[in-house]
Amino acid sequence: MKTIIKAENLTKRFGDLTAVDGISFEIYEGECFGFLGPNGAGKTTTVRMIHCVSPITSGSILVNGLKADVDNRKIKAMTGVIPQEITLDNDLTVFENMMVFTKFFDIPRREARRRTDELIAFVELEAKRNNKISELSTGMKRRLLVARALLNKPALIIADEPTTGLDPQARHLIWQRLRLLKNQGSTLILTTQYMEEAQQLCDRLVVMYEGKILKEGSPRRLIDDEIGREVVEIRIDAAEDARLISALGPFSCGHERAGDTLFFYCRDGREIQKKLVELDLPNTVHRPATLEDVFLKLTGRSLIE
Amino acid sequence: MNLSRRAFLVFYRNLVSYKRFVVPTLVGSLVQPVFYLVTFGIGMGAYMGAFGGKPYLFFLVPGVLISSVMMSSTFECLYGAFVKMIHEKLYDSLIATPVSAEDAVAGDILWGAFRGLISGGLMMSVAFFMGVFPVSIPAGLLLCVLMILIGVMFGSLAMIVTSYAPNFDFFNYYTELVMTPMLFFSGVFFPLDRFPSWMKTLSQFLPLTHAVEISRAVYSGVYPKSLVLNLAFVLALTFIALRVGVGRMKKRLIK
Repeated sequence: MKTIIKAENLTKRFGDLTAVDGISFEIYEGECFGFLGPNGAGKTTTVRMIHCVSPITSGSILVNGLKADVDNRKIKAMTGVIPQEITLDNDLTVFENMMVFTKFFDIPRREARRRTDELIAFVELEAKRNNKISELSTGMKRRLLVARALLNKPALIIADEPTTGLDPQARHLIWQRLRLLKNQGSTLILTTQYMEEAQQLCDRLVVMYEGKILKEGSPRRLIDDEIGREVVEIRIDAAEDARLISALGPFSCGHERAGDTLFFYCRDGREIQKKLVELDLPNTVHRPATLEDVFLKLTGRSLIE
Repeated sequence: MNLSRRAFLVFYRNLVSYKRFVVPTLVGSLVQPVFYLVTFGIGMGAYMGAFGGKPYLFFLVPGVLISSVMMSSTFECLYGAFVKMIHEKLYDSLIATPVSAEDAVAGDILWGAFRGLISGGLMMSVAFFMGVFPVSIPAGLLLCVLMILIGVMFGSLAMIVTSYAPNFDFFNYYTELVMTPMLFFSGVFFPLDRFPSWMKTLSQFLPLTHAVEISRAVYSGVYPKSLVLNLAFVLALTFIALRVGVGRMKKRLIK
């Protein structure tokens, strides 16, 4: 696999605050690579350094052999950014938004028209072609952001929390489009707080917390390594912990208490389930392990502010 | 500075979006200066007699014209740029393309200058109807060049203010404490000769004073020797303000 991005000892400081703390990672061509983490973990800052809108404090990033912070214009020319915030031009229509953007990438007029029409269709906004941005719903705006990011036929697509604030329909449409792009050979970088999104889209991901990378791997492997296959949640008073742990511990590969719930992680839940029936506990949930469990285990279940 | 021709693309973007605002902004930038011309020029001018052998309006027009350039370019680079930066996040989307932060800011300063040129051009046309013309057609063209230069100067100064602004209210300091006094101490409405000497000295530090002097010279076709100093002041300040304004804004945009 060809490496398209290589970051070494990447560090970003804002005054006293270290937002990204000496991380290293590699992203391969054609994969979808995810940055997961709670607010303030350093995901967006990392991604901003990759596409050259944030100067690097120390360390280095190579994008397709080009050095970030040096070959900025070249890197930006081959990158499409779907931003976290809606940065559309409110004064312009859907069509004008796209056309003005093609100028910045030096796309000739005829080609610009062709691509604009094609991409407006790609995100299903034909009916809104001549509407102003203020007349669009949030979902439509986000779709337009996707279309706009593709105008320069980017080899690298960066999606920074692309579905924040969307309803399920709009979210699924964006996921489908992103998967389609990946299947067409683009490399995709995704930052997200939605575990479902990461599980849907990412081939590999890193979990970030306080500027560091805690774990790296495919979603499946991370779940396997950190949690197992299944999770049993028992809502019960903490006073019962000792009794339950001694009863269920032998069948699980880990347990954790968070608030009103005791979690058991296991590879095969059947034994635990039998035990649960014996113990006759009313409030239990037995479910497959998800990336969310990994995330919460790694970054802690308490509120992060 | 990482400036490129892409600054003009940012200018172009503004031009595309401007078509929706042409009428309100034209009306906006016309009303106040016309008000000055009518009240001061015709109303007060009636009591003022002749200035250097010509009616007061010939004194007033070059000054009011250049101050309307100042106002338009300043407001564009204060409020316009602030809205684009904070509210619309427009700069964020620009700098994610091969447009650099410097291109984006310089393009907007240029845009401010263009807005100044439109305001000044309107003033010039209004003055035509009042019978006040520049001395020749080349002088008229030269005035347009001057308006762009002065627009860049005041646009860049405003950009410096914007780069520090935490919110809209911050701009009041600049408009009320700098712009308004400048309008009255730069010889726009009356000559500076009768001011006490400390006030004359002060006025020499105001960029508008020098801009007005040049404008008046081009309008009348009389070029005094001191004009070299005025021009040097304007060019030097434009250069410095442009560099500082673009540099400061870059720091704010690229974190």
